[in-house]
Amino acid sequence: MRTDTRSNLDSDTLAMLRASLAEVLTETTDVSLSERLVALGWSEVVEADSATALRTLFEIKGDTLSGTDALGPTLADAYAELTGEATVATVSLGEANDVHLTMADGSTRVATASPEVWAALEATGRWLTGCELVGIGHHVIASAVAYTKDREQYGKPIGVFQALQHRLASAYAMVVGAGHLVTQAGIDRSTWTAMVAKCMAGQAAEYACTQAQQCYGAIGFTIEHEFPGYLKRTYALDRQFGDWRSLEHEIGRRLQADGVVPRIGNL
Amino acid sequence: MTTLTASTFDSPTAYSAALGEFVRSDPRAAVFIGYRPPSIEHSSAHLSGLQALLFDEGWSRLGWPETAGGLGGDPRFRAALFQTLWDADIQIPEPFTTLEILVPVLLVFAPHLADELLPGLLRGDDTWAQAFSEPDAGSDLASLRTRLEPDGDGYRLYGQKVWSSFGHLSRRSILLARSGGPGHKGLTMVLVDLDQPGAEVRPIRGQDGENHFSEIFLDGAYLPRERVIGELGQGWAVAMYMLQWERGAWGWLQQGRFHKRLEQALAWAPTDDRHSASLGHGYTLATALRLQTRDTVERLAREEQLGPEVSIDKLLLIDAETAAWNAIREHIGPRFETDPDLHWMLSEFLFSRAAPIYGGSLEIQRTLVAQRVLGMPRN
Repeated sequence: MRTDTRSNLDSDTLAMLRASLAEVLTETTDVSLSERLVALGWSEVVEADSATALRTLFEIKGDTLSGTDALGPTLADAYAELTGEATVATVSLGEANDVHLTMADGSTRVATASPEVWAALEATGRWLTGCELVGIGHHVIASAVAYTKDREQYGKPIGVFQALQHRLASAYAMVVGAGHLVTQAGIDRSTWTAMVAKCMAGQAAEYACTQAQQCYGAIGFTIEHEFPGYLKRTYALDRQFGDWRSLEHEIGRRLQADGVVPRIGNL
Repeated sequence: MTTLTASTFDSPTAYSAALGEFVRSDPRAAVFIGYRPPSIEHSSAHLSGLQALLFDEGWSRLGWPETAGGLGGDPRFRAALFQTLWDADIQIPEPFTTLEILVPVLLVFAPHLADELLPGLLRGDDTWAQAFSEPDAGSDLASLRTRLEPDGDGYRLYGQKVWSSFGHLSRRSILLARSGGPGHKGLTMVLVDLDQPGAEVRPIRGQDGENHFSEIFLDGAYLPRERVIGELGQGWAVAMYMLQWERGAWGWLQQGRFHKRLEQALAWAPTDDRHSASLGHGYTLATALRLQTRDTVERLAREEQLGPEVSIDKLLLIDAETAAWNAIREHIGPRFETDPDLHWMLSEFLFSRAAPIYGGSLEIQRTLVAQRVLGMPRN
């Protein structure tokens, strides 16, 4: 259903990668994610197309609701690239310019990054959480579609009702739009595109969850159902690196301050 | 004068840069920069001069096949033309939007008409409308009743069309009529001359006082045999083919407009923090539309056959068009509705409210995406 024309990876490779990542991200093991990725041949994929590799990793993380920490190690890689400090295992961002480091030996410390480094890490965080939100959006829509084909009322599957069709169709368009933005954010690697991508992904995923939840009805509120996990993850990710409403405000403020409307993505 | 060919430029980006330089430096282009149309009729007359200039210098011929008077190159050149004109604060001549929807159809289903008529159409010497809707056939287009009846070597048309954009400024119209029995299978697409006895066009005054669309009355208007587009009874397939252009290329053209209008609004009104979120919202959705339709334009350039997924372009267009114009109106403030100098922009704003209606309504698009893309069950 989704095309990846902006990737160096062919569609077969990409399909294999998605399947392998789904396995890696959901298995129960003490082995670190980095080591599991090495076994998968991750470095060659990153070599071929690092933007697609990382975007796919986080989309699948969203799709599978994996609890594996992928962001900490990825930000550590970014931190190493930006600062030359390669012994850090995971990185998370604190208040402006504060960077929380976990070293390979498990010790922790807080470093003060330059504003440029901090902004670059924030942009990476926005991009990748945006990818995860897109993965969630696609998942909850696909699951809700399946449910509406199965669940019957008035003697027919509820999926025949346009009221539900229209909810999921409009959510799908939003998530597809968000998918383009996170793809472009991986190509641009600019703070601006990352901010707009996170904003779009946050609202698309929240909107998709709202529409899916309505299709599920009461069953979607039970702990046995997968849906609440996706909903709660969506809210948690939206809060990271700026929720979508705050980002909308911030984007508008920048437009007003600069008087320029950047065109993201060229022909 | 023409020295351009498709191979003059490595990429649409290079073409765009050269065209931008041309419109900024050529004195003949100056009257089009910052032009604010006082009426649709004025705009049509004034901008036909721009069409002639762009055609004579070759710029608008790129992206169209050489057999039909173009200079070759794929549709991305046309997309780059729109982008460049918007960015230079030049209004896109309305016939370009019609061309973008109608001519690709001719190239596939009636190449003889494209070869004969594209140059005049591109240059602005000829103008076409499209006539699909009827008083009793809106969303349910396949129920239309305008009849195509055989007469000697050709045909005659009887019936009434409505909501034909710019119909009163057009010399011909693409038109969907019934040549056979009921339903989709009885339909045929044709190109009919409007400047003949048996065809009468009456403009309809819109909410902003402008003649955006027309009624077309057909009482025996003649249609030569060679003006049938495709085969008799193939009209529905031709119309469906048309939709991929209507939704994709049109969406790309519109996002260029939204980006430019947002930029103009920022320059014309003081910053007010209360409107920041609305601007951010409109911009973000305009960007999503831009990237979606860029993909569509690139797929069309690769000659991929597009399917029901082009309805996603239309859904994103509706969101972007609504949100971007809301933001513009809010940011500019009360003078948006009262300043005569902004009448042209208020017109565009009011027309933007039609986004969920024109070219297949929001509800139709959502149903198509749900059933044909997501695979939800049909009733």
